[in-house]
Amino acid sequence: MATVTGSVILEWNQWLMALTSPQSEYGELVWRLRLPRAMAAWTVGALLSLSGCLMQVLLRNPLADPYILGVSGGASFATLLGMTLGVASGLLPALALAGSLLSIVIVFSLARGEGPWSGTRLLLTGVVTASGWSALISLLLTLGPDGSLRGMLFWLLGDLSYARTPIWAIGALALIFLLCLGMARSLNVLAMGETTARLLGEPTHKLLWLVYLLASILTATAVSIAGNIGFVGLIVPHLMRLIVGSDHRTLLPAAALFGGLFLVLSDTLARTVLAPRQLPVGVVTALLGVPLFLLLLNRARVRQ
Amino acid sequence: MTVLSCDQLDVRIAGVNVASQLELTLEPGQFWGLLGPNGIGKTTLLKCLSGISAPVAGRVLLESRDVSELPRRLLARHIGMLQQHTVYVFDSRVLQTALTGRHPHLGYWEREGPMDMEKAINALRAVGLDGFSERSVTGLSGGEARRLAFAALLVQEPDVLLLDEPTNHLDLRHQVQIMTMIREQTRDCGRSALAALHDINLAARFCSHILMLFGDGQWCAGRSEDMLNETSLERLYQCPVERVQGQSGPRFHPAG
Repeated sequence: MATVTGSVILEWNQWLMALTSPQSEYGELVWRLRLPRAMAAWTVGALLSLSGCLMQVLLRNPLADPYILGVSGGASFATLLGMTLGVASGLLPALALAGSLLSIVIVFSLARGEGPWSGTRLLLTGVVTASGWSALISLLLTLGPDGSLRGMLFWLLGDLSYARTPIWAIGALALIFLLCLGMARSLNVLAMGETTARLLGEPTHKLLWLVYLLASILTATAVSIAGNIGFVGLIVPHLMRLIVGSDHRTLLPAAALFGGLFLVLSDTLARTVLAPRQLPVGVVTALLGVPLFLLLLNRARVRQ
Repeated sequence: MTVLSCDQLDVRIAGVNVASQLELTLEPGQFWGLLGPNGIGKTTLLKCLSGISAPVAGRVLLESRDVSELPRRLLARHIGMLQQHTVYVFDSRVLQTALTGRHPHLGYWEREGPMDMEKAINALRAVGLDGFSERSVTGLSGGEARRLAFAALLVQEPDVLLLDEPTNHLDLRHQVQIMTMIREQTRDCGRSALAALHDINLAARFCSHILMLFGDGQWCAGRSEDMLNETSLERLYQCPVERVQGQSGPRFHPAG
């Protein structure tokens, strides 16, 4: 469906033609523009949802989202700096990735310290680092040239306009997804608390840092493709917990699938609602996600 | 069956001397009661024995091997611990939570099989939670949550059971039920158990051995009938104690 609609709405037969003959005008539209963008949307949605699941277990906090530990802050700062300095837009994803990796390294080395694992220390380090980045971002926004403000704002809200089929991101997603699925039972135990997990045979120290690194890499990948798309990583894991339960062996695949779908849908709406103008997809995810989530939460309560 | 023992163990927490030079051997078949006033370090000692916190000096040995050198997964197949509190942040089903006891017995990609399922169902039945399988854990009462945690421990099938106040939140019938089950586990299945308790009379009725922590590192261990008397209990709790001969053995009450 994402490939059918847009500024130009295709008839079904035109769409079929386009699919079968990539060289035609509509074929170009579908194969070169819409399909890569839909693929990117799906990948980013899956990355963020998976990262959200991991962060919530890591911090044992249902309010944790992929951005809470400052990964996206580093990415945003690097990207906005790039925009201010007029770096070619093709280089921005690489900058974002570098920024988020820098942030991961900072939080990791500061929060690690000696002694036992402390979720609170990680949370505080992450949140404070995130605040630091956001101050720097505000600074850039106020100092930046007016011409690039709009682009910056779109990026901060999350935008898929420049996204291409992200082969390497799909690779990273697949790899980390399989890894996480393999340790899904460990994640179940970890969600019951660190002590419980240790008593049940998990070397939690290693496991928790592994989860932190995996979640951060997932977020960094997503952010480098599409900026700070909010809400997907917070709400999709919750929605899926309500629907399929909290066993990570079903939760992780469900979250990845639904997160992808949700973002494709949101992005399609973002392109079409005010076509030919495009909305930042982050706005749409929130506008769609909030009522959907409240509805399901309400239903779950009634059922209990 | 495996034996858990302490060798010259020094345990401290936040400046409090819990036990010094502790020598203790949990033989198969023994059910130990751990008695001591509030804040004396019973939980700390149990955590130390389970290998999740380190002693200041000395060793905890599983058979003849130091627990600090054994991989956690192996340890979890031999030593299980019921914690004092269970807090569920994320919701889950009762059966799924009981099944977490199988975790140390399963490999990386492995799923629970019919045998594991059967063990979980049996354990839930044993603690009187049959019919609760699909209930959500956050909706359980304090006592039900406690019995679920005990069921998970049974499912784990450790040779050594460490229990931190297993009768917390339980009504009279379920207190006796849990204590009876721990005694069965030790006497009939050849396991050993060490349970921190506040009820001297439950200890007197069910435990074969008693370990007392007096504070300042002093401890005393031995058979229940030798350990439980007015003198030792008054020293332990700093409170006058009266001994009454009941039909099934001696009972102790605060005197005065």
